[in-house]
Amino acid sequence: MKSLPVIQDHAEPRPPGHRSLWQSVEELEARAAAGRGEFAAGAAEVPPELSRRSFMQILGASAALGGLTACQPPREKIVPFVHEPVENRPGKRFHYATALSLDGYATGLLVGSADGRPVKVEGNPAHPTSQGASSTWDQGALLDLYDPERAKGYWRAGNALSWRGLLAEIQKLAREHEADGGAHLAFLLAPDASPTQAELRRGLQARFPKARIHVWAPVTEENATEGARIAFGRPLELRVSLDPARAILSLDSDFLSGQGESLRLTREFARHREPGAEMSRLYVAEPAMSLTGVNADHRFRMKGAEVAPFARAVAAQLGVVPGAPVLSPELTRAAKAVAADLAAHRGRSVVLAGLRQPPAVHALVHAMNAALGNVGVTVRHGRPVLGDAAPSSAALPALAREIEGGKLDTLVITAWNPVHAAPAGLDLGALLARIPNALYLSLREDETSRRCSWRLASSHPFESWGDARSRDGVASLVQPLIAPLYESTTAIDLLAAFLDAGDRGALRHVKAHWAARSALDPATFEAHWEGWLRQGVIPGTAEPAEAAPVDLAAVASALGRLPGAKGEGLELALAPSYGLFDGRFAGNAWLQELPDPITKVSWDNAAYLSEATAKRLGVEGGQVVTLALGSRSVQAPVMVMPGHADDAVTLSIGYGRTDGSAVSKGVGVDAYRLREAGAWFAPGLTVTAGKGKHKFAVAQGHFSMEGRPLALDFSTKEWATDAGRAELEHLHGLPATAQVPVDYSKQEYSWGMSVDLSRCTGCNACVIACQEENNIATVGKEQVAKGRIMHWIRTDRYFSGPVANPQTITQPVMCQHCETAPCEYVCPVNATVHSEEGLNEMVYNRCVGTRYCSNNCPYKVRRFNFLAWRPEVPDVETLLFNPDVTVRSRGVMEKCTYCVQRIEGARIDARTGGKKIGQVQSACQQACPAQAIVFGNLNDPQSRVKKLHDDERRYDLLHELGTRPRTAYLVKIRNPNPDLA
Amino acid sequence: MTPPAQAAAEREALAPMPLIAGHPTDAQLNTELLAPIFSPNETWKKLVGLAAMGSGMLVIGLTVTIARGIGMWGNNQPVGWAYDIINFVWWIGIGHAGTLISAILLLFQQKWRTSINRFAEAMTIFAVMQAAMFPLVHTGRPWFAIYWLFPYPNTMGIWPNFKSPLIWDVFAVSTYFTISLLFWYLGLIPDLATLRDTATKRTQRIAYGIFALGWKGSSRHWQHYRIGYLILAGISTPLVLSVHSIVSFDFAVSQLPGWHTTIFPPYFVAGAVFGGFAMVLTLIIPARKVFRFNNVITDRHLENMAKVMLVTSMIVSYGYLMENFMAWYSANPYESYLFFVTRPFGHYAAIYWIMLFCNVIVPQTFWWKKARTSVAWLWIASILVGIGMWAERFVIIVISLYRDFLPSSWGLYAPTWVDWFIFGGTISFFSLLFLLFLRFVPSVALAEVKELNHEMQHEKAHAAGGHP
Repeated sequence: MKSLPVIQDHAEPRPPGHRSLWQSVEELEARAAAGRGEFAAGAAEVPPELSRRSFMQILGASAALGGLTACQPPREKIVPFVHEPVENRPGKRFHYATALSLDGYATGLLVGSADGRPVKVEGNPAHPTSQGASSTWDQGALLDLYDPERAKGYWRAGNALSWRGLLAEIQKLAREHEADGGAHLAFLLAPDASPTQAELRRGLQARFPKARIHVWAPVTEENATEGARIAFGRPLELRVSLDPARAILSLDSDFLSGQGESLRLTREFARHREPGAEMSRLYVAEPAMSLTGVNADHRFRMKGAEVAPFARAVAAQLGVVPGAPVLSPELTRAAKAVAADLAAHRGRSVVLAGLRQPPAVHALVHAMNAALGNVGVTVRHGRPVLGDAAPSSAALPALAREIEGGKLDTLVITAWNPVHAAPAGLDLGALLARIPNALYLSLREDETSRRCSWRLASSHPFESWGDARSRDGVASLVQPLIAPLYESTTAIDLLAAFLDAGDRGALRHVKAHWAARSALDPATFEAHWEGWLRQGVIPGTAEPAEAAPVDLAAVASALGRLPGAKGEGLELALAPSYGLFDGRFAGNAWLQELPDPITKVSWDNAAYLSEATAKRLGVEGGQVVTLALGSRSVQAPVMVMPGHADDAVTLSIGYGRTDGSAVSKGVGVDAYRLREAGAWFAPGLTVTAGKGKHKFAVAQGHFSMEGRPLALDFSTKEWATDAGRAELEHLHGLPATAQVPVDYSKQEYSWGMSVDLSRCTGCNACVIACQEENNIATVGKEQVAKGRIMHWIRTDRYFSGPVANPQTITQPVMCQHCETAPCEYVCPVNATVHSEEGLNEMVYNRCVGTRYCSNNCPYKVRRFNFLAWRPEVPDVETLLFNPDVTVRSRGVMEKCTYCVQRIEGARIDARTGGKKIGQVQSACQQACPAQAIVFGNLNDPQSRVKKLHDDERRYDLLHELGTRPRTAYLVKIRNPNPDLA
Repeated sequence: MTPPAQAAAEREALAPMPLIAGHPTDAQLNTELLAPIFSPNETWKKLVGLAAMGSGMLVIGLTVTIARGIGMWGNNQPVGWAYDIINFVWWIGIGHAGTLISAILLLFQQKWRTSINRFAEAMTIFAVMQAAMFPLVHTGRPWFAIYWLFPYPNTMGIWPNFKSPLIWDVFAVSTYFTISLLFWYLGLIPDLATLRDTATKRTQRIAYGIFALGWKGSSRHWQHYRIGYLILAGISTPLVLSVHSIVSFDFAVSQLPGWHTTIFPPYFVAGAVFGGFAMVLTLIIPARKVFRFNNVITDRHLENMAKVMLVTSMIVSYGYLMENFMAWYSANPYESYLFFVTRPFGHYAAIYWIMLFCNVIVPQTFWWKKARTSVAWLWIASILVGIGMWAERFVIIVISLYRDFLPSSWGLYAPTWVDWFIFGGTISFFSLLFLLFLRFVPSVALAEVKELNHEMQHEKAHAAGGHP
């Protein structure tokens, strides 16, 4: 066949017989550049000499390639409305139900979409885990979606592949592996309770019977599973209900932390923190201050290895197992009192063990709950929803052995970043590089993707179809809010590709699974499917509770096998980070900047230790020390944490990334370098003081209230006497010096807020929810250190009592919308003014930035744009902005508006409907799992906020200044055990 | 010693030092006082070069600030104001001595003001120029602040907030600057005419001629001049009190501990006069040496200024005392914490103690005549007072802000290089303007000195003539 001259780059016209002459290197380069043109040949314009022949050539090619689109897999497309539904109008917010999973456990969400782009994450009230609340991580997912540094496309050895090309390659691979039953194939999957994925896994096992499917994550609940196996003989999962619980003992269990079912547990816990007969009492035994420990009525600090003996002591008091270990007199007394309290609340108490505790402690907890008659009331047991997809820390060592044994040709990884989070001493990166086909599906490029021959971009959950299950088994459908922003795929599609079904699309897999499972006829199924999508949950999918008798002998023998707690030496305790969890959120600037709820450190982790231990080691805050465990060591800056156990050092995992996006790299210290597979505590730590000094960016440097009446707390005993209430009497109402109140009675609405300190756990969900709702910028570590963090709502945290084990109180503070606002009268240009409904409004357009308002604000809630925090916003990030809220420029003051855009949105709806404004929720209120924040109309006597403003626990922050804030605080009531006073 | 001789000696000792040394003629005074204009000085050139270079720092500092934002400074939450407003208040304070010397001392007919009033007035104008820069550039968006702070009619119907002390500042400072400039210029007219008449170069004659506004020294001219000068003196006098009172309102009107203090207006005015006189001394001592003005700016002038500083220092000290007393007496926990913990023992305690040393202790030496007449000590003391007054504004602004009501929001402040550039730059720019003033304008009020000279010689002649 004759080959035709294809359209080519224009060569430089050259006189025949002459060599091209040039006078300087610049001229030569300029000539070359001019010849190249801006676009590839034929891309921008028709070639100059378009002959009939080349015309036919292009025409033919166009016709042939035009048909190629038909060969694309039926990827589910989200297209703009062709026919706009009548109810749609520009700017109207639609909410779609979906779900986000963290290590396999789903939280149901409602994601708000404005003009086709998701802009706000809310909890799904119909979902049992969320109940309308959302965590910092749920909220932060939105920023991940629009991250310009997300992985894009499919790459094999540096060459881009098309989706079709990828499918073809995988098909080829699969055929090869099918031949030997998959003996050289392995999967390293992320834990996932998705029923569709479970079906795909079964398919994979059927097609490749010899292939290994490993499931792995850095944080696992293996200890709990193992504990259940000891106690019940099978791996049952604990389902906790705190509503009926009146006495709670947490053995290093951080059940308010954001993981698992913490949203529901926080809600149930907070509900019973108001004074009264229903009030619960929380005991926590733990090494470092956790969110749960902060909220404890009694917190016992002890090394991680000492929790087990303490648990035994309590169990011995309860008569569950014999043989009490020897404890310090103080702890003995504590164990006695705790046991007495638990016994006094038989059937209304609960004992919980943390995931870091050894299986024997979990087994003992099951025995204690059974002995206390809690089973069926506060605790239930059920089959684990993760099933065969439960992560195992043994997965990576096993995988490493397989690679070293040369048994692997193809490895498919959907687990998050195993190279970074691999156990210390296991150089998984080098091993991965040895595998010819290591396929890594990830949302971002990271340490692992650099070592894998195939890099596949993962779609964000908000771009994907799928299904998920919450911890109690309730299934939800995951539906996309937006078409994938970049060329990317999902785990379902990838696994299906190995079954030659990659071109079906995730939606069909999910739908087929549920159609088969529901066994409905197609028409009814469609209706149900629509309903499930709308509802966000699939009814009737909860795992039933199972009765299981505890094998006390097995528990006792497991306890006997526990290594005794050695009193000597330093213990290293690792912990998931409140911001970054296991490190997967390290690319998320919101979560990086979010101050730690206890230490208020932002953009960092630190080696936390107690004051006494720091003194003994001769180190001080900020000093860089070497933490060494045997031959492994890391350099970490020290921070003294009040309430930390002595002779122990806590370091959060998830920091110290060496690769990844600009946000994640080089922040903090990599604790994985000290971690054995799945281990959390390690004895024998040595700390060597170094010379370097580290500068932390601490959002709140001062820990004490200096005796000022700011965040108030009373014990139940104090509160019961009149003295307690009398102290509050002069902290609300109108101060003697204030002017006559403005009359708002003629207004229909008068907005106000209340914050219940008894309920607030300090979890920070409000902070990120506000950041997302109000387009609040992140500023970076250096600027946070300079005191320029931009959060409109912050959770102040104060310690009182001894540094060794202080009492802690958290207090969310946002603009108080003072009636006589100190900021308003000092603004020279009228940029901050009072609305007729009582709001303290900020007029960004008018602000010239004198900062006088901020100086005069006693609550220091105003935030100034000292620099252009967002000098250039990548196009994709502009999609993130809430269209109802102005993006502030440099030189402008900003602050909490009580979500005025939501009030106005509700007003528009009310006006068109001819009704009064119903319920308006501020973003912080909506996210709050503890329901500590309530917003509403003070002129409505029926409103919850009005009732809370009239509550006897109400007081006004800095009341004596006469600012008359519209945000009222309700004092925190602690419920200490009189026997431990 | 005979009793009459002894009495004469005692009189001699008590008699003030002369205001003008020797018996110069008008021509001598002309030559002496206009010398800097007609015969340039090498030292002057070097100093101008230095000051111009320093002013470059100001240009750089302001450019960086306007191009990048206030974030280039050390200001933060909670310290929203720092060097910007410290410098503003400091410079405005320095600008006070001028008008006080010119106007109030004129009305009180204090003859010793004549030789130094021109200096002081020029200093006022240049200091207010430095100060006026800050209210504008300290804003986040100066391109709007430059006109939104003025009440101009607009279609939006938006006016400035007349309740805000910052708006009062705008009016107070601009009025003060305008009146000071007019007062200074009116006083200059006869001297500009003298310059025109003594100048040998045509360009100088024309230039000074234009600014002299056709002054001929006729009795009619003098009559109008005197009336005008007195009226302006009358207008200026309340301004001396009002400007710094209003500046103090920036703080007093707020509710921050350390700011919310009723004693602020008089205490600020006294502090301003105190600091202003210190600056006059700082400038005049080297100037009179370089330009050999010892004849007309005598030790008596310096001594008088030292006395004024002693008095105002005592008022300022009383202010410090009262602030502390009130903090204790009110039993307000926030104020007590500021005055008895944060200021004396906090992170910036050193600056507080510097303030007390410079403003309270150092001027106490002026009870002794030896200290008042020692030129070297006066100069050192005046510089120390300048530092002390700057420290006072740091104490008021930064120390009150960095620890206010909620300990959760406490935070430290540290200036950046831009802060230092702007601060150093204003000092340089001020010096540059002052050096130019010394070179091109009669820095001593020639006509007034001549008048005083005649009066004194006249009195002397009368005394010699044996009037009873």
